[in-house]
Amino acid sequence: MRIISKIVAVSVFAMMASAASAADQVEIKLQRFFGACDAQFGTNTDVGKAVGECGIITSLINKFNSSNPGIHISVTNVEWPGYDQLNAQFAAGDPPDIVTVHESALSDYQTKKLLLPLNDMLKSVGITPDQFTEAAQAGATKDGKLYGMPIDTWSELFHVNLDLFKKAGLVNADGTPIFPKSPEELIAQAEQFKAKTGKPYFVMSLANETALYMRDLYTYLFQQNSDFFADPKHIKLNTPEAKRFVEMYKTIFEKGLTTKNLDYSAALNAFLAGEGGVHLNGTWVVGDYDAQSKTPGTALNKGGYEVYPYPQLFSGAHQQFADGHTWAVSVKSRTAAQSDAIAKFLKFYFDNDYEWARTGHLPSVQAVLDSDKFKALPHRSTILAVAKLGHPLPAQVQRQFALQDIIGEEIGAAMSGQKPVDAALSEAEKRVNDLLGNL
Amino acid sequence: MSSNRRRTGPNGSDWRNALFIAPYLFFFLTLLVFPLFWGIWLSFHKADTFSSGAFVGFNNYVRLFNDHVFLQSIWNTFYFVFLTVPALAIIGLTLALALNSSSRLATVLRSLYFSSSVLSVTIVTLIWRIVFVPQFGLLSTIYGWFGAEAPAVLADPDLAMIGIALTTIWWCIGLPMMLFLAALQQIPGDIYEAAALDNAGWWRTLISITLPSIRRTFVLVLIIQIVLQFQLFGQSWLLTRGGPNNLTKPIVLYIYDIAFRRWDVGLGAAASEVLFALILVAAMTQYLISRRQEER
Repeated sequence: MRIISKIVAVSVFAMMASAASAADQVEIKLQRFFGACDAQFGTNTDVGKAVGECGIITSLINKFNSSNPGIHISVTNVEWPGYDQLNAQFAAGDPPDIVTVHESALSDYQTKKLLLPLNDMLKSVGITPDQFTEAAQAGATKDGKLYGMPIDTWSELFHVNLDLFKKAGLVNADGTPIFPKSPEELIAQAEQFKAKTGKPYFVMSLANETALYMRDLYTYLFQQNSDFFADPKHIKLNTPEAKRFVEMYKTIFEKGLTTKNLDYSAALNAFLAGEGGVHLNGTWVVGDYDAQSKTPGTALNKGGYEVYPYPQLFSGAHQQFADGHTWAVSVKSRTAAQSDAIAKFLKFYFDNDYEWARTGHLPSVQAVLDSDKFKALPHRSTILAVAKLGHPLPAQVQRQFALQDIIGEEIGAAMSGQKPVDAALSEAEKRVNDLLGNL
Repeated sequence: MSSNRRRTGPNGSDWRNALFIAPYLFFFLTLLVFPLFWGIWLSFHKADTFSSGAFVGFNNYVRLFNDHVFLQSIWNTFYFVFLTVPALAIIGLTLALALNSSSRLATVLRSLYFSSSVLSVTIVTLIWRIVFVPQFGLLSTIYGWFGAEAPAVLADPDLAMIGIALTTIWWCIGLPMMLFLAALQQIPGDIYEAAALDNAGWWRTLISITLPSIRRTFVLVLIIQIVLQFQLFGQSWLLTRGGPNNLTKPIVLYIYDIAFRRWDVGLGAAASEVLFALILVAAMTQYLISRRQEER
């Protein structure tokens, strides 16, 4: 009986202690995409051991929680990009405190006054906007204020299977790949590639996919100095510049110079299986592809893997479309302790920007971008240029994810011959302008 | 109090009786009637996810019918209903006729055919993606055995909707089969005995006895399936995202796109009302035709 009494007393004390400790702890709700990897990294706090976007972000948050006993970041993991869920949360008045938002989506929430301008909060922990790279500042600044703390800059890249490039005779004397300097050269090199390797030059994810079309359109319009978004509420796509781009991609498609009918994951697997020379994919796969190239027996291990920004095919500005991820903070009533906890987390992530940059994304912090440690990471010497070449759409352009769908649908139809190029561009322009005209 | 009770009696119209249906009525009004009228109200306003703006009259409906993607989505929905509903009814009936026995094999097969219906749309589409995925899928493997290249079903403008219909039929066949089985088991055995005494063959029995006896169930299956298949969403979203070139985008996916991805809630509400009217007309037409036939 006495033993039972002791057990009960100890249990009650333990519960009270735990309740008291939970009451002291500041709870912050964080919502993110980048996938789930709890089985592998659910309890890992050694960030250096983590790889990939999911592994690194999970380990960073674990580390923050373990080194800040007074704060608990509870994580909700959403499917990319997670905006439908976020909209519902905002509409229900229950948004997360901290949330991943693309720079291209910030305007949507900022114009509705749903996000907190972060300049003051960041200043309280010693972060000022000028500490971020120009690309990161440009992407996250709306109406002169940072509406998200930029954590990276990303862009589409030319991921190259060097073995196939060597077989195609498209390698310089120093072993680097030869890239085209005009649309005509691109077609000629791609035909040469196909003739010598029997494989398509490009691995593109074209099926059930809209992002690639949009990003590439923007990139090649920038390269032609097309001012297609002179008015952020009106796009101009019925232009010779846009037509030049679509016809170039249509030729690539018609001549079988790209893989067809592959969705994102199938295209990724096809490139890793050595089914094409250049995979058009983002910065986020650099780490994984590099690891593959170091694994004996893989297609990328045969002759090597390299990665570059898009080649300059036109005579205009040397630019390519870039976007970035940010930590945004919702407008919500909070205690001072909660605001301090959020600021502390942002500072922690800022300080660990190098770790996040190991994913392949370019760092948002200028000091990290300039550091030898970052430059020593694989392939950073070639993709570093994206920090300067990267160019977002004008900050006031809203619903960029919705525009992506419209543009992707229409260009996809033109490229595969389901629609004449002029009709597709006119339709894309009409649909985008209808959307932006009815905000 | 007692006089009151006496006046109304046990079956009288005491208002307190209404309390028995109050819980249902509450949810019916708040979750069905109110959203229905709110949706109609929204369709006449310029509204987004976070605010309902100015009254715009029929502007959303004008925009809707000027949007070729919406018109395409109406066509896609009808095409999908045309591909799936007759197939579900005929295959469901055929399976029910074949499995309407008490043998162990029939029991096992009934469970097997019904088993796909308990899966969620996510699992179903995952399975069929593995079948359809180019180069690495089951279809490619089978074609590969014969040295042929499999068609890219989900990326081909002519095949994508057929692929989605096939997935849906595989998924939904269980319910029509079970409804037909239930109906078949309701037919009195003595009718079949009388037919046998008259030397009626299998075909004559099917045409003259079985099918007329389950006519009401046939209509029920058609109405249920029309209503269900008009609401196609998950399969399209998960298999093709509505592509290629919006050829597999049904009305519900269009509504989702417009209202939740583009935040144009007013336009999305207008599209919802059109879908509501279409389902209502299709189901009522079906119902009225079947009632008229019964009256004859």
